[in-house]
Amino acid sequence: MKKMDYPMIDLTDIRKRKKIMSDGAYGILLVTPALIVLFFFGLVPLFYAINLSLRHVDLTAGPAAKWQFVGLNNFRFALNSDVFFAASARTAFFAVVSVSIQMVLGISLAFLINQLRWFKGIIRALFLLPLASAPAAVGMIWRYLYDADFGVYNAALQAIGLQPLNWLGDSNVALFSIIIFDVWQWTPFVLLITLAGLQSLPKEPFEAAELDGASTFKVLRRLTFPLLSPVLILVFVLRSIDAARLYDPIATTTRGGPGAVTETITYFLYRVGLKQFRLDQASAMALIILFVIIVFAGFMLRRLMRQQSERARFN
Amino acid sequence: MRSKKITAIDIMRMSIVIAILIITLFPIYWMITTSVKPTDIILMTPPAFFFQPTFEHYKYAFEQANFAHYISNTLIVALGSTFIVIVCGSLASYAFARYNTGGGNLMFFILTTRMMPAIAVVMPFFVIFRTAGNTAIGQFLQLGLDRLGTLIVCYTIFNLPFAIWLMHSFFQDIPTELEDAARLDGYSRFKVFIKVVLPLAAPGIAVTAIFCLLFSWNEFLFASILTRDVARTITVGVGDFWTQRGILWGPLSAAATVCVAPMILFALLLQRWIVRGLTFGAVRG
Repeated sequence: MKKMDYPMIDLTDIRKRKKIMSDGAYGILLVTPALIVLFFFGLVPLFYAINLSLRHVDLTAGPAAKWQFVGLNNFRFALNSDVFFAASARTAFFAVVSVSIQMVLGISLAFLINQLRWFKGIIRALFLLPLASAPAAVGMIWRYLYDADFGVYNAALQAIGLQPLNWLGDSNVALFSIIIFDVWQWTPFVLLITLAGLQSLPKEPFEAAELDGASTFKVLRRLTFPLLSPVLILVFVLRSIDAARLYDPIATTTRGGPGAVTETITYFLYRVGLKQFRLDQASAMALIILFVIIVFAGFMLRRLMRQQSERARFN
Repeated sequence: MRSKKITAIDIMRMSIVIAILIITLFPIYWMITTSVKPTDIILMTPPAFFFQPTFEHYKYAFEQANFAHYISNTLIVALGSTFIVIVCGSLASYAFARYNTGGGNLMFFILTTRMMPAIAVVMPFFVIFRTAGNTAIGQFLQLGLDRLGTLIVCYTIFNLPFAIWLMHSFFQDIPTELEDAARLDGYSRFKVFIKVVLPLAAPGIAVTAIFCLLFSWNEFLFASILTRDVARTITVGVGDFWTQRGILWGPLSAAATVCVAPMILFALLLQRWIVRGLTFGAVRG
């Protein structure tokens, strides 16, 4: 009698509850609030941007102006616009150079730090500082460091007998100055994640390689990098996506100048859309860029994130 | 096996790392010292390393530029959006982790929204909120240009995908056996979530919340385009000292220090979780 009634009641209870709603339906219920937020506030603006891009919109024309439907004119304009292509090419150049330097520096540093004997933890922590600081705020500080007259970097150049540079004012130098800033801020990102990857590598294959007498170079090429590659590719993709939409330090240092040499695509779209108030053209261009980034990101990330989370589940 | 002897290579490695660390930390060191330098020393060439510290720039930043107002704005926006993100996000990511809702496709769709270039969203928002600001509902909900509600909406959208992914990784770490046991004890699914899962996931949720606060605090693009005075946030406020008559480096450094310092503390607090956060939960450092 007594050993039966406890489980009996509970099982029927659960069965009864399960009839109200299946697990699948319950999951959908839990996801709904988040989806509502994302749909209303994420997809509505997107559709609105499509709407804008198909009309003639000039905010300077006054509130009474009608936004006439012009079909694909704005897209035609965008694809024939030299400045748009110049800004895209500039952004691609910036992203490729900057992210490559970050990857090389970050990975090398990670190897160095991984083999350190003392203060590993403190050093790792200190590398967080650039990452945590707001790019817009430290960007302004870098403007001071780069200042042609009383900046520290010029003082340092002169101290070692080199010519001072007009870091942000010289059209041959300015984009590279921005790259240096970006490298300063984001190399720690590559470093920290690579370091975490290195530290979680399995021990056994390395011990086996050591027993076989494999050279350091061979171990790196055959073991370390292949095992590390999923993490490295993920870092590369995340960094590339971010580099391609660089805005904050541009807005607080050069504002796209001198001329347009530091005008990245985001800053260019800001200027067209919200300075010249041609939201229609800017939206069309933004949608083209959005398409490129989403295709790239969706394609790459999907594979990577799945790989990583599968791995985590079995660990 | 490694020998215990300290070799020349060890020393060399250490020196290289320390040299790079000094270069890395220098801009932040310079920002902090500039914020307490007297104005005449700030503009000296060559730059001076020794001086009598002063706090006049902090005073100036808070009295002239209304920095306290920017900080409170930023806090309201950051806390408000983080609250919505955590409530909606924890429910959703739990559903993804336990019930595999959407079979993975939905989660990827959510991640893609995070990868959108912000500029593509901010332009339609500019028009939408300009209109919303003139309606009664918009005014009641503080939605409109230069309103705090607008920024809360923007930051919620951008942090929600991140939070869902990061919390997902934490929910995955909780063994399902515990939940099954609680179910056998007669708890409903929702009660299991509240009484069993949430307490176990609390550290992960806290980590996610701090990340969201950090991102909102540091955000610049939305804030600079959608606000002017009323809802101006701290990162935009730092630019106040870039005036018509030139840049006031002292107050600017003070403002930048006020903006950067708390987030550095947060990051140090998050140290253990930083890698997981930065990779949306994919790499568990």
